[in-house]
Amino acid sequence: MVDRDTWLEIFHTVLSNPLRTGLTGLSIALGIFILVVMQGLGAGLESGVKQTFGDDAVNFIRVETGNAQLAYRGRKPNRSIELHNDEVQAIQNELDSVPSFSRFVFRWGSTVRHGNEQGSYGLRGVDPDQCQIGQVHLTSGRFVNNRDVDQNRKSAVIGGQILEDLFPKGTTPDQAVGAFVSVRGIQFVDVGVFNQTGSRWENRSVYIPFSTAQKLFSNSDVVSRVSIGTGDATIRETRARTTSLTTWLKNLLVVHPDDAEGVWVMNRNEEAEIYEQIFDGIRLFVWFVGMMTLLAGAMGVANIMAIVVRERTKEIGVRKALGATSGSIVAQIVQEAVFLMMISGCIGLLAGTWLLQGIAPFVEHDFFSNPRVDFRSALLALGVLIFVGVISAIGPALRAVSIRPVEALRDE
Amino acid sequence: MIELKSIRKAYETGSQSLTVLKGIDCIIKKGELVAIMGSSGSGKSTLLNVLGLLDDFDEGSYTLNGENMHGLSEKAAARYRSDFLGFVFQSFNLISYKTALENVALPLYYQGVPRKERQARALAFLTKVGLADWAEHLPNQMSGGQKQRVAIARALIANPSVILADEPTGALDSVTSDEVMALLKEINNEGITIVVVTHEIEIANQCDRIIRLKDGRIEGAMN
Repeated sequence: MVDRDTWLEIFHTVLSNPLRTGLTGLSIALGIFILVVMQGLGAGLESGVKQTFGDDAVNFIRVETGNAQLAYRGRKPNRSIELHNDEVQAIQNELDSVPSFSRFVFRWGSTVRHGNEQGSYGLRGVDPDQCQIGQVHLTSGRFVNNRDVDQNRKSAVIGGQILEDLFPKGTTPDQAVGAFVSVRGIQFVDVGVFNQTGSRWENRSVYIPFSTAQKLFSNSDVVSRVSIGTGDATIRETRARTTSLTTWLKNLLVVHPDDAEGVWVMNRNEEAEIYEQIFDGIRLFVWFVGMMTLLAGAMGVANIMAIVVRERTKEIGVRKALGATSGSIVAQIVQEAVFLMMISGCIGLLAGTWLLQGIAPFVEHDFFSNPRVDFRSALLALGVLIFVGVISAIGPALRAVSIRPVEALRDE
Repeated sequence: MIELKSIRKAYETGSQSLTVLKGIDCIIKKGELVAIMGSSGSGKSTLLNVLGLLDDFDEGSYTLNGENMHGLSEKAAARYRSDFLGFVFQSFNLISYKTALENVALPLYYQGVPRKERQARALAFLTKVGLADWAEHLPNQMSGGQKQRVAIARALIANPSVILADEPTGALDSVTSDEVMALLKEINNEGITIVVVTHEIEIANQCDRIIRLKDGRIEGAMN
């Protein structure tokens, strides 16, 4: 039981040797500090890379076309391959049933205007399923729907950054819905606002119906991209589907089976898995280094505890002569160790968090953003350290109390 | 109060066994002030440790306050020390980072006495040994005689039946030695049994009785 007296006793002994206490505390604080900072930097790297590459959902297959490099069936090499509406229809027929399907038309650098404010943003003509495939998080209103596409409506769903840039300060997403925005000089109605957390590019985009985009901003029936949702399919299944789709599509578009660049069928499931493996590697590395740091810290603590107890052998003898039981002495030493480690561990934790928060605004980069402390693992680390500290204190403490007071008190 | 019957005690030193106490028989009555004398190696410190339950013994019987002390568990020994015994050491053995008052109060901490009461009683005992003004001083701010008086106050605070003093004047000059002995005699007059281990005959002569040890045996008792 830890009552006020016990606390006073702990305070007293901990503060009685400031240098010793300071050094012990420093080694623990430093261990936790390094772990927290490492962890934070790892998390920053991960979220930075994820923001740059991974702002879509990962369970879909992306189909795009490029330049065919090889001559094939009378066609010249280095020719541009395009997807058109009828071919996309053929793909849809071939696939019969998929969880979700969206066509894309992209127009980068589209001028979007509201009132007197204007800016350059990415325009995406899409089908309603893109909401699901792209995991679009609506903060207000709705996404592009089937009626928009069927009737070529001029409906727009704008990203949170556009709302912030073009609308008066303090406009809520709800207030923006229903407002007129001009996209490439044509009046649209804002039907919804979305906000992708932790994503820089997404929030600078406007979604409009695919049919409207093709009709107004494209002089042809070219489709920039097709995304096909894979639902709960396993990696193996999506891999098989990707392969068969590639073969089938190359045949449809008359591209050589060995051509590497004419048809791009990218399995996001697989890409995501590769990233996941890379991040697993980074996490493992961070943990490995962290554990080694902790181990070094723990050994320091064990060492200091052994010295502390040795130094206090005589005091322990006196306390025993004055009626202390061995149990109470071991308990006291362990409580002191835990107390010391808790305090200095928290200092290390705070210092690490503070450093990460301090540097966060200055280190925004494509591959690094939002370094943060994984509080749970920091607490876990602290727990491990305390556990090790207790174990390392118990050993010398038991040895100290097993020394008979006689020997402890012997002068020379 | 204290009754020893053929106490034997040997230390194992490596492969050899060194018998330090070779059958000690003695009775110390309640309220006595007894000196144990002997040259170094005579076993006097060991005897004191046995008496103080700081060390166990191999054979014989030890009765303290009518209770048998043989084969006590650590915990039981700690309780008897706390309830019946007070210690005074040659090198004072005050805890260096605690004030005089806190040092005196420490035994009560292990008896679970509330803090307020501990402080009050400690101050009372410091007053008794004439050091009330020094309550907030640390041991290294005091003279040897003062430290020993603090140690005596600490030995008294738990209201012991017996005080065991191991060379209580060994580290003091003759004037302060006399002061400390005077204090011990005063305490003895209040009915507390005191056993003093010493090798100084001047100190031993101030006691009621001298027990002389030689080679682990009692040479002979005299009044």
